[in-house]
Amino acid sequence: MMRRTLATLVVLLAAHAAAAQTPRYSLLLKGGHVLDPKNGVNGVMDVAIADGKVAAVAANIDAAEAARVANVAGLYVVPGIIDLHAHVFIGSEPDSYLSNGDVGAHADSHSFRSGQTTLVDVGGPGWRNFAQFKTNIVDRARTRVLAFINIVGHGMRGGPYEQDLGDMDAKLTAQRILANKDVLVGIKVAHYQGAEWEPVTRAVEAGRIADVPVMIDFGGNEPPQSLDALLNTHLRPGDILTHMYAHVRGRHPIVNAQGQVEPYVIAARKRGVLFDVGHGGGSFLFRQAVPATQQGFWPDVISTDLHTCSQNAGMKDILNVMSKMLVLGMPLNDVIRANTAKAAEVIKRQDLGHLGVGAEADVAVLALRKGEFGFIDSSGNRMPGDQKLECELTVKGGQVVWDLNGRSHTLWSEQPVEDMNAPPPARRRTR
Amino acid sequence: VNLAHLLARISAIVVTLLLGSHVADAQQPAKYSLLIKGGHVIDARNGLDAVRDVAIADGKIAAVAADIPASDAARVVDARGLYVTPGLIDIHAHVFWGTEANAQYGNGPSAVPPDSHSFRSGQTTLVDVGGSGWRTFPQFKAQVIDRSRTRVLAFLNIVGDGMKGGPIEQNLGDMDAKLTAQRARQFREHVVGVKVAHYMGAEWDPVTRAVAAGREADIPVMIDFGGNNPPQSLDALLNTHLRPGDILTHMYAHVRGRMPIVNAQGQVEPYVIAARKRGVIFDVGHGGGSFLFRQAVPATKQGFWPDVISTDLHIGSMNAGMKDILNVMSKLLNLGMPLQDVVKANTSRAAEVIKRPELGHLGVGAEADVAVLGVRTGEFGFVDSGGGQMPGTQKLECELTVRAGQVVWDLNGRSRPLWNEGTR
Repeated sequence: MMRRTLATLVVLLAAHAAAAQTPRYSLLLKGGHVLDPKNGVNGVMDVAIADGKVAAVAANIDAAEAARVANVAGLYVVPGIIDLHAHVFIGSEPDSYLSNGDVGAHADSHSFRSGQTTLVDVGGPGWRNFAQFKTNIVDRARTRVLAFINIVGHGMRGGPYEQDLGDMDAKLTAQRILANKDVLVGIKVAHYQGAEWEPVTRAVEAGRIADVPVMIDFGGNEPPQSLDALLNTHLRPGDILTHMYAHVRGRHPIVNAQGQVEPYVIAARKRGVLFDVGHGGGSFLFRQAVPATQQGFWPDVISTDLHTCSQNAGMKDILNVMSKMLVLGMPLNDVIRANTAKAAEVIKRQDLGHLGVGAEADVAVLALRKGEFGFIDSSGNRMPGDQKLECELTVKGGQVVWDLNGRSHTLWSEQPVEDMNAPPPARRRTR
Repeated sequence: VNLAHLLARISAIVVTLLLGSHVADAQQPAKYSLLIKGGHVIDARNGLDAVRDVAIADGKIAAVAADIPASDAARVVDARGLYVTPGLIDIHAHVFWGTEANAQYGNGPSAVPPDSHSFRSGQTTLVDVGGSGWRTFPQFKAQVIDRSRTRVLAFLNIVGDGMKGGPIEQNLGDMDAKLTAQRARQFREHVVGVKVAHYMGAEWDPVTRAVAAGREADIPVMIDFGGNNPPQSLDALLNTHLRPGDILTHMYAHVRGRMPIVNAQGQVEPYVIAARKRGVIFDVGHGGGSFLFRQAVPATKQGFWPDVISTDLHIGSMNAGMKDILNVMSKLLNLGMPLQDVVKANTSRAAEVIKRPELGHLGVGAEADVAVLGVRTGEFGFVDSGGGQMPGTQKLECELTVRAGQVVWDLNGRSRPLWNEGTR
């Protein structure tokens, strides 16, 4: 009797399931605190996803309308994080540094676990080897990989390659960008040692032709070139100085010996020059960041400068760097804005970095842990802090690509048992 | 001597001592380069499970004792409330990354660079299992082993071309026991085993040749079994073909083409228990498709715990239910395996399995590979390769990793001075 009742129940349930329509939403993130600075959302909202897009953001969306529901109460739901400064052109070519060499990092190994859906490689490839970068990295990664192309045609290969003024061609660089606008969002100048301004002027010229910003990793001359001249004469509004809180040989720091943010730095911000963290292995000092932020000089964008030398040092990952800014007193909403809406604006990709209905469903769900934490700068010194961001869930194009605690999953004991002796169902092979 | 005088003398002594340690820093090097102080040491090989200080000098373990003075060390880590263990060994990873199209785990894009994953989860040794074969090992060595800060060891694939996927791995003509053994002996420092994987067919040749190579080179074989329908006999593999010390990986998998260790009646197969009794080793090898709670829960309830708790790290597992070795170890912890056993599996036991007894322990003189782990308590969840979730209350987190005496990961800056007190 019991068995027959059960059988009937199973049949009824099956019929019910068949009769039910496909759920309206593929995924529903329920009960989280949404921070979507671009759309001015800052409150508890549900976020529904369908066909890889954000389908609805509203106070109370019915769980029954979604195929999969993740309870994210107590967590922050933000647009997928954009890292404006990464190095992911990893390869096995000897003597090739960050341009198909092994100092670059592996995009998918770092992105999703820290809430990032877009990584911007800055200066790995130049116009000559962009195709290799596209084939090996962009096309193979699940992360959205964009790039600032190096003003050096050979890219960031290190050594004399990056010092070759003869390989810095504005026209060819701009042409490569114009033909690959879906991937190339800017131009990079880095590591140049010498008093010439040509690397900068040619990059800016290429940027003008292709209508993209340039990012400058400045310095490398003794005595240092004028940072004032760079920021207020050479760069255009919308161009970017990276490594803003660095103090290294060959570059003036933004906070001077008197502990004050240089007036010309403040002037540059007023005219629209952008300041990026670019933490890296050697470019973030609390001795710069603490006085600068105390004087209100916060970053526009909080990037990592991810590569093999920063990944295991003080930088670690983008959430660690964002947490540093939080601990320095930057409000959470501003921290999120910097790496979502603002980062998207900087690279002129306003389609990214927000959760408006119709936007590609790139979402990060973050926890704000409280406790006793510590953060290390690039001189190896520590600052204590009581907050730290942790990534709970990452969605890329509507797909769950990271789920720390299985919030989008059902209990193992409630899952249907697959018959491994039956012929395999037709399905996509997981990688 | 009045009280004020006494206090003044005491403070003078304290000041002298403090200054003295600074002067000592400047004039003569401290006895220890690093001191990990006040942590709970778990070192199964040396029978240690207690609060101890661990001192490091010249890249080696210099002392493990109840109270080592901080003044003897150039750098001190406060590890109170944390566990101090030997550097973790992942016996099943895929780190022969490369850019060759369609080369999968053998110089292809399905493998990952070791240093991006190792240190942040307490691992100092990763064992690539089968990425390279005898023909491609020198490339693997030049490209990955020699350039990584992680210690990378290897099981050679019985396939000469390694784990490049497709027909390459089905080529019986490229499975040569003699050449494989020769390559293993040539690179004894790095090659610690022979791997069989992904073979589809009813032939036993891949296994028998791997075992022949293993016998010649005196190293274990690891088998990723199955791929035939109907499945080949797991009993025959475990109790006829494999030697004691050989390894079945993916122990909690249930996939097409391989019999699971827990049968349809929910019981661990008696022949599996018999195999363990004769010394066959069972490894988790979580991966993207090889760890089911439906297998792990009944198996562990019946006492069938893993010998080794490995990741099967690759691009398909790293962002899925596997995540990292601490997440996999935490699964076992939440299934009821005692922390001491979990740590032992991936330290002294893993070292024993690959016949590298100098690794996986904190004895004086050993290379200073150390992990400092926190056990977080709270509401966590763990996902298996069928997408099923299991709640849990404990989770391991890596606070600090030391490789050959160097701090290579320091989550919260425990080994670092305060920024506004430092000299730089």
